[in-house]
Amino acid sequence: MEPLERLLNLVGLLLETERPLTFEQISDTLDAYRAENAETAKRMFERDKDILREFGVPLELRDLDAWGGEQGYLIPKELYYLPEIAFTPEELGSLLVAAQGGGGETPVEQAAHKLLYGADGGVLAGLSGGPLAAGSDARGPLLLATAQAAQDRRRVRFGYRTSQGKASERDVDAFSVVFGRGHWYLVGHDRERDDIRAFRLSRFTGELADAGPGIAAPGGFSAADHVDRGPWVPGGEDIAAVAFAPQVAWAAANSFRGAVTRGPREDGWVVVEIPMADEQEMAGWILGFGAGAEVLEPANLREVVLARLEALVG
Amino acid sequence: MAEKRARTRTVPKTSERLARMLVIVPYLVQHQGAQLTEVARLFDVPVDQLRRDLNLLFMSGLPPYGPGDLIDVDVDEDGGIWITMADHFARPLRLTRAEALALFLRGTELLAAPGLSGAPALASALEKLRETLGPDTLGDAEAIQGAAAGSPPEHLDVLQTAVREHEQLRIEYFAASTGTWSTRTIEPEELFSSMGNWYMAAWDVDQDAERLFRADRVRRAEPSGERFRPRGLEGAGRALYTPSGEDTAVRLRLRPGARWIGEYYATTHRVELEDGSLEATLPAKQLDWIAKLLLRVGPDVEILEPPELADMVREQARRALKNYGR
Repeated sequence: MEPLERLLNLVGLLLETERPLTFEQISDTLDAYRAENAETAKRMFERDKDILREFGVPLELRDLDAWGGEQGYLIPKELYYLPEIAFTPEELGSLLVAAQGGGGETPVEQAAHKLLYGADGGVLAGLSGGPLAAGSDARGPLLLATAQAAQDRRRVRFGYRTSQGKASERDVDAFSVVFGRGHWYLVGHDRERDDIRAFRLSRFTGELADAGPGIAAPGGFSAADHVDRGPWVPGGEDIAAVAFAPQVAWAAANSFRGAVTRGPREDGWVVVEIPMADEQEMAGWILGFGAGAEVLEPANLREVVLARLEALVG
Repeated sequence: MAEKRARTRTVPKTSERLARMLVIVPYLVQHQGAQLTEVARLFDVPVDQLRRDLNLLFMSGLPPYGPGDLIDVDVDEDGGIWITMADHFARPLRLTRAEALALFLRGTELLAAPGLSGAPALASALEKLRETLGPDTLGDAEAIQGAAAGSPPEHLDVLQTAVREHEQLRIEYFAASTGTWSTRTIEPEELFSSMGNWYMAAWDVDQDAERLFRADRVRRAEPSGERFRPRGLEGAGRALYTPSGEDTAVRLRLRPGARWIGEYYATTHRVELEDGSLEATLPAKQLDWIAKLLLRVGPDVEILEPPELADMVREQARRALKNYGR
């Protein structure tokens, strides 16, 4: 008999039984466990139990009677079956589409496969052509482990290399995982620095090690506040006025949220006003346009750009 | 020996087959007459393998395992699958914590991409997952957050419709690598969000080649009126840069202030140095564009190869200085 057949029968038997079944009762019913050597059959049964539990089949051992004498196995229906989730077709479709992105990660795929049973033809037809998330630059298993650690308030240790290239071991009470601008971050309490820090998962240099229970996040903690939002997000109070060559003006104005186009100058260059948070960051971004950009205001920014260009010429 | 290895690779493990059956059977019970090929596609399993798995179902069932107690599967002549006596498998196994969490994380990623139409449905789907599965299965959902950032590309809706309806588009596109505009006819097959930007995997009709376009660099987009048959281009999950044989290998030493280049762009031959610098090779079709990129980081980068690149950077800087009357 094929192992798959044996396992399917075992699941069916233990799901449908009203009272727990001992191994003897199971082997009386299922031929597959009736080997000549009882020990061999028992070992096979033990292995099968492990396989089933590995996938989350809730195979339970319960007392056969109130006196607690013998015990038997069963699979409680209420624990086995996926609970009914009242998704609208649009909701189910959007979840299934979300699950498609980013190359086969087993848990996501398996979750989507389980949800498919409730999808009607309309949902299935809409699955191709939906916009996808390409996943992030974080490794799937690392992301799962980190998210679980944050959910369970664990203390974790991991190797980390900062954006400035400094590598060290970190010891962190995990509070949250946050996704922003294509990256996943762990936000938590860095024990050595005694401060709340955000760690980009793509900068981890190894696996996550569990180091026991962690401390809870302080009151009023908001994970997103600790993630570097980069220079691309408005919030700067200063406004930079920059003239761009006609070729690049549209693309330039479009790369900044909150940028306002002031129309062409006499020479055809387009003046764009951009909210600025960090002068050096902004200077770098403008330098990337080469001869296609000229800073008009503020004077400070103009000086920074000029100085950096002159340093380059040498 | 070689033959044996090939066999172990093609025969899937029993546990994989079981996992598959426990999700496929509920689908078949709910979708009587589903097409064999369609089911194989949905569950990502070869048709032959699916057929073999279905054949085994015949022999499983419930006690006393008489002819009337076994699952009955019939594949009709049109490839439709009909299944009876499988009511105990009419609903799939519950989600494990890893599955529920992985799905929730993926949904959170997509929801954080700016301008997604259909976002309300995804948001309420995640909310229902959270409510129905509860902390026992999903864990503390509050510990997982998406921070939406950036503004959506102007033509995202038109692009999305074109992908869904297989509409050929005429677009005006800005190629940042050359700093030039062009009008192109494209057949967009997939729209995906990566590193905070929307990308489109498409066939460039004039170039007769596959291209990747960034949605926020499309200035105009109009359907040409033609429809196309998708070629199955690779989309989400692909590398954002496709190396070609004609690339120049740009070898850089990125000091801490310039390391972001190595995080943002796909590089190879990465070597971490003691002082926090990163040496990496960046493949490039256009050196002009790299020269502009390097203007941004100035002294934080050392150009190891090719030698002419340093001159190009200096020349770019000299031309930019003219804007300031220097």
